[in-house]
Amino acid sequence: MKTEIQRNSPTVLIAQIVSLAVFLLLWEWAAKTKTVDPLFIGQPTKIFAYLYQSTVVDQVLLKEAVWTLSETAAAFVLGSVAGIAFGLLFVLYEPIERFLDPLFSALNSLPRIALAPLFLLWFGLGPLSKIALGLSLTFFIVLNNTVAGARSVDSDLIILARMLGAGKARIFFKVTLISAVPTIFSGLRLGLIYALLGVIGGEIIASQHGLGQLLSLLANTFETNGVFAVLFFLAALGVTLSKLMSAIEAYLLRWR
Amino acid sequence: MQPEERSASIDIENVNHLFAGGVRAVCDATLRIHAGEFVSVVGPSGCGKTTLLNLIAGLIELRDGRIAVAGAAPLAGRNDVAYMLARDCLYPWRTALENVMMAGEFRGVPKAARMKRAKELLGRVGLADFENHYPKALSHGMRQRVALARTFSMDSPVMLMDEPFGALDAQTKLQLEDVLLDLWNAEKRTVLFITHDLNEAVTMSDRVVVMSPRPGRIIADIPIPLPRPRSVRALQKDPHYHEIYSNVWSRLEEGLSQNGVHPA
Repeated sequence: MKTEIQRNSPTVLIAQIVSLAVFLLLWEWAAKTKTVDPLFIGQPTKIFAYLYQSTVVDQVLLKEAVWTLSETAAAFVLGSVAGIAFGLLFVLYEPIERFLDPLFSALNSLPRIALAPLFLLWFGLGPLSKIALGLSLTFFIVLNNTVAGARSVDSDLIILARMLGAGKARIFFKVTLISAVPTIFSGLRLGLIYALLGVIGGEIIASQHGLGQLLSLLANTFETNGVFAVLFFLAALGVTLSKLMSAIEAYLLRWR
Repeated sequence: MQPEERSASIDIENVNHLFAGGVRAVCDATLRIHAGEFVSVVGPSGCGKTTLLNLIAGLIELRDGRIAVAGAAPLAGRNDVAYMLARDCLYPWRTALENVMMAGEFRGVPKAARMKRAKELLGRVGLADFENHYPKALSHGMRQRVALARTFSMDSPVMLMDEPFGALDAQTKLQLEDVLLDLWNAEKRTVLFITHDLNEAVTMSDRVVVMSPRPGRIIADIPIPLPRPRSVRALQKDPHYHEIYSNVWSRLEEGLSQNGVHPA
C-alpha cells in the first residue's frame, strides 16, 4: 500500500517528468551536434514531427495500426477461446491431456517465431499468417493458465457444493470455472501482449501491411526517426492494451 | 411420535471404517440419534469423529456396517441433509446474500422464495445490513454466521456439523453457539455436532457421545438434563451446569480408562 502511495505522489510524478525532459533535451543536443550520429539515434523533435505527420496529417501510422490491431484481436480471440476450451477439456478428461501432452510440450518449447516461414508458406503474405503466429503464442499461455486455475480450486468448496445438492455440471460451471477466472485472466493479459508480439514479428518478417512492416521498411531505408516514432507508438499501444485488460479484470474480479 | 419426526432420525449400526493403508478410523460404532435431537460427538483430534460424520454425509463410501439417515442410505447432496464445516467455505465471488441463496439455487427453489428465506436468515444471524458484502469484507465470525444461515437455508431436517465453530475465538464462539441454539429452537432439526470442546458439547446438546482415541470407538453416551431453551453464555455462570459438566468429565475419564486409555 505504501509503495503505491509513493508511486502516485506528485513528487514522484514531477521527478519523472523532469528526468524525461532532461533525457529528451540531452538526446536532442547529442543528435543536433552530431556527438552521436543521428542515423543511429534519430532526433526527438524529428521523431515527434514524424509522429504528428503520420498520425494527424497523412495518418499512415494509424492505417497500419488498424491492420496490426485487427490481426492481434483475431489472434487473441481465437487463441484464447481455443486455449480455454482445450484447458477445460483437459481438466474434464485427463486422458486427453496425457495423450496430447508430448505434442503440446514440444510445440510450446519451440521458439514460435521459427514457425513463421512455414506459416507464410501455408497462409500467404496476408493477415492469416500473422494471426496464426500470434495465435500460436496466445493459445499455450491461456491453455496453461486455464488448467492451472481449474486444478487449484479449493476442494472444500467442491465438497460443500456437493452437499448443497449441486450435480457434476453445476459444480464445474458454478465452482471450478469461476474460481479459475482470476488465473485465466492473468493468462489473457499476458496472451494479449504475446498476440501483439507474434503479429508484429510476422509483419517484420514478410508483409504488405501493419506496423511491423512499416517498421521494417523504415529501418531498411535508414529512416531512424520513423523507426523511433513507430516504437513509441507501439509502446503506448502495449501499455494501453494492458491497462484495458486490467480495468476489465478489476471490474469482473471485484470480489477479490 | 409423529411419523415426520421419526423420518429424521440417524441410525448407525456396527460401523467400521478402514482407510487405505490400514488406518482404522472408526471401530464398531453404534449410535441412534432421534428426530429433533441435538447430539454432540466429542473426542481427541484424529479419533475418527469426522470420518463418522462424512460416512453419514455420504462423502465417504460406507463399506462395513449400516447407516440410515431418515430411513435411507447416506448420499451426498440429499435434500434432507445439511452440512457445515469449520471453514466457512463461502464462495468468494458471491455476496453474503448470494451465498445463502446457493443451496436453494442448487435445489431448484424459485428465486423469489430463496431470496426471501435468505434475507430472513441473514436477519436472524444479525447480518441484515451485510447482505451485499463479499466475504472478503466480512470478519471471521461474520463469515461463519453467513455459513450458519446457509446451512439453515437448506430447510433440511438433518444437520451435520463438523466443528463449525472450531476456528473462532472464544468470544465469537459463545455468540455463535447462542445464534445456533436460537435457530435450532425456532426450527427443530436433528443435529449431529462434532467438536473437541467438551464445554461446547455439554452446553448445546441433549446427549454427548464420547469417542476414544484412534481407533475411534464410542465409549460413553451421556444425556445432558439441562432445561431448554438454553443460553450458552448464561450457562457459563450456572452451578447446575458445572455440576453436570464435571459429571460428564468423570464419565469421560471412566470411559477412557476402561478402554485402557489414561487421560492426561
